[in-house]
Amino acid sequence: MKKKILPYLLLAPMILIMGVLVFYPIIATFSYSLKKWKLTAPGDIHFIGVKNYYDIVQSDSFWYSLQNTIFILVFVVIFTTIFGYLVASFLNVNVKWSGVLLALAILPWALPPFVNGILWKFVFFSGYGFLNKLLIGLGFISKPIEFLSSRWTLLLVISIVVVWRSTPFMALVCLAGRQSIPESLFEAAKIDGGTSGMVFRHITLPLMKPFLAVGITSTSVTAINVFDEIVALSGYSDLGKNILMESYLTTFTFLNFGKGSAMTYIVMFFALILGIFYLRSLNKEVEY
Amino acid sequence: MLNVIEIHLFRGKNVFAEANKIAMYDINTGKKGRIYDRKLLELSYRDTGMKKKLISALLITSMTAAMLAGCGGSGESNESSDGAESTTEESEGGKITFMAPDWAIPTDDQLAAFTEETGIEVEIAEVGWDDIREKLATAASAGECAADVVEVDWSWVGEFDAADWLEPLEVSEEDKADIPTIETFTKDGEVLAMPYANDYRLSYYNAKQFEAAGITEEPQTWDEVLEDCRKLKSTGTVEYPFAIALNAEEKTSTCLMWLAYTMNGVVWNEDGTLNEDSVLEALKYMETLVNEELVAPEDKTSSGMDAYMRICGGTASFLTGPTSFVSRSQNEEICSVVGEIEAILVPGKDAKATQTMALPEAIGVTKASENKDAAKKFVEWYTSADMQKQLNESNSAIPTRNSVLEELINDGTIQNAGAMLEEANLISSPFPNGVPSYYAEMSSAMYNAINKMALGELTAEEAFDEMENALETLINE
Repeated sequence: MKKKILPYLLLAPMILIMGVLVFYPIIATFSYSLKKWKLTAPGDIHFIGVKNYYDIVQSDSFWYSLQNTIFILVFVVIFTTIFGYLVASFLNVNVKWSGVLLALAILPWALPPFVNGILWKFVFFSGYGFLNKLLIGLGFISKPIEFLSSRWTLLLVISIVVVWRSTPFMALVCLAGRQSIPESLFEAAKIDGGTSGMVFRHITLPLMKPFLAVGITSTSVTAINVFDEIVALSGYSDLGKNILMESYLTTFTFLNFGKGSAMTYIVMFFALILGIFYLRSLNKEVEY
Repeated sequence: MLNVIEIHLFRGKNVFAEANKIAMYDINTGKKGRIYDRKLLELSYRDTGMKKKLISALLITSMTAAMLAGCGGSGESNESSDGAESTTEESEGGKITFMAPDWAIPTDDQLAAFTEETGIEVEIAEVGWDDIREKLATAASAGECAADVVEVDWSWVGEFDAADWLEPLEVSEEDKADIPTIETFTKDGEVLAMPYANDYRLSYYNAKQFEAAGITEEPQTWDEVLEDCRKLKSTGTVEYPFAIALNAEEKTSTCLMWLAYTMNGVVWNEDGTLNEDSVLEALKYMETLVNEELVAPEDKTSSGMDAYMRICGGTASFLTGPTSFVSRSQNEEICSVVGEIEAILVPGKDAKATQTMALPEAIGVTKASENKDAAKKFVEWYTSADMQKQLNESNSAIPTRNSVLEELINDGTIQNAGAMLEEANLISSPFPNGVPSYYAEMSSAMYNAINKMALGELTAEEAFDEMENALETLINE
């Protein structure tokens, strides 16, 4: 009897925490999303089915935000993976200062996202930004470039900032993956005449796939959840808003909890699909 | 059982099942390479089945949870960080909580004096200005009391009223007459919050720069301001003489409001729609400023306060902005042109404007408070004439009582006030029916349209249409 109860007792705290902090909000948010619930109309809260979802999908603002989200997501995932892998390759070289280099490499990751955004705003600012000063000083341009004034350049800047912040984590994951591959495999490949390209394609990449899956999944969540950097760079402007900002504005600025909850669910669903896709495509049988 | 299996190195299959040793063959030459021990090559991720499924499930769950946390986090995760919400029980027995931004927090001595006088203890919950509204909303959605006394910005009053979060206050006719900004916080004859910090639109110009450009008189009308700015630019005195907020933020909406209001005395019609003649004229004025490069390009993307501060840096010569610039322009630490800036009455269409817009901050008592009487006593004390003088000294708050403002200007406490007092008497609200409950959405539509116009994506007419359509949708909702 004791044996039967003990595992449940040990699991109980985690089940409770997950239940209260994860599963209850998921269920509650879904129930809110089916209601007309605006805080400024407390007497008019009622069930409206999927109308909130319908209204969201019908609105231009949602599709605009979705486009921005996809742009940031694609850019961030591609470049974070590339840079993360490159940084990991450098860090994998065993030199005297490896520890210091590793600490320096993860510094951007340790910065709060809003601070990160503010720092980069100084670089890309239209008037007295560092980059403009540099370009003018070098004679490449005569007038400052307004990096934050058009949709696509703004999205590019936001993506660069997020890549800068998320690269260290990807590098750490890649480094862990790279270091878990036995050196004997590379030695064998070398002896057997494998070129670097072949070794990368047939040994390194396949064996690192599970690690990349973790890194890309995390980076994707980061890319969809970008908020602070956008606020720091362009405020709550329509120009650079993503789907998460749309959800935040709807819920907390416009006090529309029903529609905001529906939007949150759409974001969550979007992430879920993405997560399943990644894990299915990247967690296939390792072949090498 | 096999002891050795063969793997073609670069096209191999994972057939480790029962092997103890693994041999490598070069696919090109067929040459046999080394033989490895199976254990050496056994990698944890080679295993399939349950382990992989478990990892996948955990990753998907964590990703989903992370998304939810990201979406709802800013509203809920901060909830317990400052203890701002657990006040209901403590407010019983003469204890109240006051939730306000840093600049509104009284000193310990002031609070001790209040407690001694009334026996009411005040617990302070210092919260960032932006977060107050969010905390109130979150608490209200859960049917809880965020605090007994809360900060109420002028722009929140419409939605707070609609959400039924504020307890009406009793204010004497004498006080109403002394505090003109109280009108902003009055809905259907009921005062919902008491203004404690004054802020109304006042104009400033750099007299030295004007003089350098050959302009000897202060501008009386908006057309004169435009001409003066053109002259300042053409003479090379100042490249971007007009400071105005154009970024997509609240200040940009208020810029359009005060510009239209001081130009034509009207912004909204009685039915809540925009007054086309007035607002379009103001938009065209802003468009001219942008097209003629009289405003700095960075004003389109920098914060409104950064744009305003250009006058203190000497890169702008004219500003219509907050009353705080009376003191900012005298502060050598933040102003490089001290002594050159003068506070003047806001220009109008044919002469000086006969009204100005106020953007004051107030405090109110929440309906969910369980100690409303004590909370009301606190509000009364906090906004009394004596406290306004004290708060001016300790927190640099501009008094909302004109009698106190006059006293402080006359006794030299507020220096170089210029037209500050005269302008205070011209305060009136541009909202014919009070600040609407959909203000936040309306303002968002306004500042985004203005910002797009400033960035050249829309004309003034298109920007107006965008605002008007958004407002009509909100009114009809």
